Amino acid sequence: MSLIRELFGKSPFGPLVEHTKKVNECVKLVRPLLEACVREDWAEIHRLQDAVSKLEYEADVVKHEIRQHLPRRYFMPVSRGDLEQFLHCQDEIADAAQDFAVVLLIRSTKIHPELVEEFRAFLDQVVLVSETLTNAAQELESLAETSFGGAEAESVLKMISGLGEGEWKADRMQRKLSQHIYCLEKQLDPITIIFYEKMLGALSAIANSAENTGDMLRTMIVKG
Amino acid sequence: MLWLLMGGIVALCLYMAWTIGANDVANSMGAPVGSGAITVRQAILIAAICEFAGAVLVGSDVTDTIRKGIVSPDALCRNPEVFCLGMASALFASAVWLHVATWLGMPVSTTHSIVGAVAGFGVVAAGIHSVNWGKMLEIVSSWFISPVAGLALGYVLFRFILRTVLTRAQPLAAAARIAPLMVFLTTLVVALATIYDGMKNLLKPGSVFAEWATGGRAILAAALVSLVAAVVSRRLLRYRARGEVGLPLPEQLRRVERLFVPLAVMAACSVSFAHGANDVANAVGPLAAIADILKTGTVKMRVAVPFWILALGGLGIVLGLATYGYTVMRTIGKGITEITPSRAVATGIATAATVLSCTRLGLPVSTSHCVVGAVLGVGLARGLGAVNQRVIRNIIGSWLATVPAAAGTTMLLFVLGHSLGVDLFLKQLMPAAP
Repeated sequence: MSLIRELFGKSPFGPLVEHTKKVNECVKLVRPLLEACVREDWAEIHRLQDAVSKLEYEADVVKHEIRQHLPRRYFMPVSRGDLEQFLHCQDEIADAAQDFAVVLLIRSTKIHPELVEEFRAFLDQVVLVSETLTNAAQELESLAETSFGGAEAESVLKMISGLGEGEWKADRMQRKLSQHIYCLEKQLDPITIIFYEKMLGALSAIANSAENTGDMLRTMIVKG
Repeated sequence: MLWLLMGGIVALCLYMAWTIGANDVANSMGAPVGSGAITVRQAILIAAICEFAGAVLVGSDVTDTIRKGIVSPDALCRNPEVFCLGMASALFASAVWLHVATWLGMPVSTTHSIVGAVAGFGVVAAGIHSVNWGKMLEIVSSWFISPVAGLALGYVLFRFILRTVLTRAQPLAAAARIAPLMVFLTTLVVALATIYDGMKNLLKPGSVFAEWATGGRAILAAALVSLVAAVVSRRLLRYRARGEVGLPLPEQLRRVERLFVPLAVMAACSVSFAHGANDVANAVGPLAAIADILKTGTVKMRVAVPFWILALGGLGIVLGLATYGYTVMRTIGKGITEITPSRAVATGIATAATVLSCTRLGLPVSTSHCVVGAVLGVGLARGLGAVNQRVIRNIIGSWLATVPAAAGTTMLLFVLGHSLGVDLFLKQLMPAAP
């Protein structure tokens, strides 16, 4: 048995970036889902929901692999708690994307023509927040290379700094969209309104989790 | 008959060196292979050359310690045959123990087993007072201090690389500026260890260079050699890193690692050199003692270690590498792919500096343990994805198991040989003492 061989554990940062990418692929399908819903193309929604579900499962597999490779006896450049929290938050983004797909799948909810543009704008803002996080999180390997310091850390912190404001914008758009929905409450049946709320909830969860993930990334950098 | 006996002892010694080449070298070359700086084939080639050079050029101090530093020859000067039998038992016991431990999958060090074996022989042959306990204490504390020193050096060196290169806004240009300094450091460590004592193994004690290159002048000469190496590397690097400013940071960092590859190769050479100087040299220590006694019939205090014995150690290593080392090195290299060239440079220089300092002080240490220390140091500097702290426990476990086991086996073999009258038989073979 070689001491040197035993000394090196598997670095969690490569797999973390892999997880980031899987999660991002889930989020990328959110816009096509909404478009399919607007077109009332239920077969397409069915197909896309399958795809999201599959990607979410793959992200879960990566997550479990990372956790499995982090026994207590290893020490890492970042605290284990922060890393696990980061992974947990990032995984919630994929969960929320899947929730959105499921909401569209279980009931053929039509989007009211007056609401379509606002739905699109809100969704785009949510996806933008998530993309920002993805771009920052993809730098994890480079961050590990520089021991979470210096110019590389600065540039990642800069990327994350936009997340809070992006999430706040998404929140505001969600409130306005909600108000708009209730303005049309006479024309909409109650179950449709319930499902609109469910869609909004899932979408805002994506932005929320992305912001939380960014916070954990910041913690990992700043703590060092 | 004498030749038959010598043949047997030489074969044992060759076996020890073979074990080192087969199993142990992979530990010191693991980091550069894992980082992808060198292929397994190149590692074998580097190891073959540098281990041999280290054993021959710097190895004599450690060999001397094994030969006469642990068990005082004074206590046995009237019974050279007992000394001879004891050293043969020690060699045999270490070889057996190493073989058993490797078979059991335990991480053991040749160094610890030889030191334990020689001490065991001293206790059983000439009583507890014949062992130089002061020297033993020094050796055992060096087993603790050397990994810690490796850790500290690894930490400092990696912090330095971080601060001067990796965390910079233009890391590629910074790397090209700093690399010659690393070349200087690596060369200095090796050059100092080699010429500090005037290369007394190769040159005759009276020769011009041997007389000239001592103390301050040796340091100066080593610094000069290193300076030349640094200037040459600076020329080469400037050519390689030209016009690369302004690339995106992650791309620059990737190229920095590529720039570190030649440095990692140099560091690998120096570790291999240090390993040859310390671990190989102590494997041939008992043989040096036996050869001396059989030739002269007395136990002497001062006799230069013959060149052919150090060369024999080097040869054993090369054989071990050629027959079995490839497989072991490939396994280890595959297991530690998470290390990058910049980390391999820091661990390499830290290990070489620690081990060569110990060699110069005549302290037989385990290169593998110094590597572990250096890697932990880089890990503490946040340089590695995940480092297994539990290895420290295994290291201490290997001390606790190896030394008593090797000592016990030696005692057993010695008593057995003594009761069979092997020492009396040896006495007849020796030239009469004056």
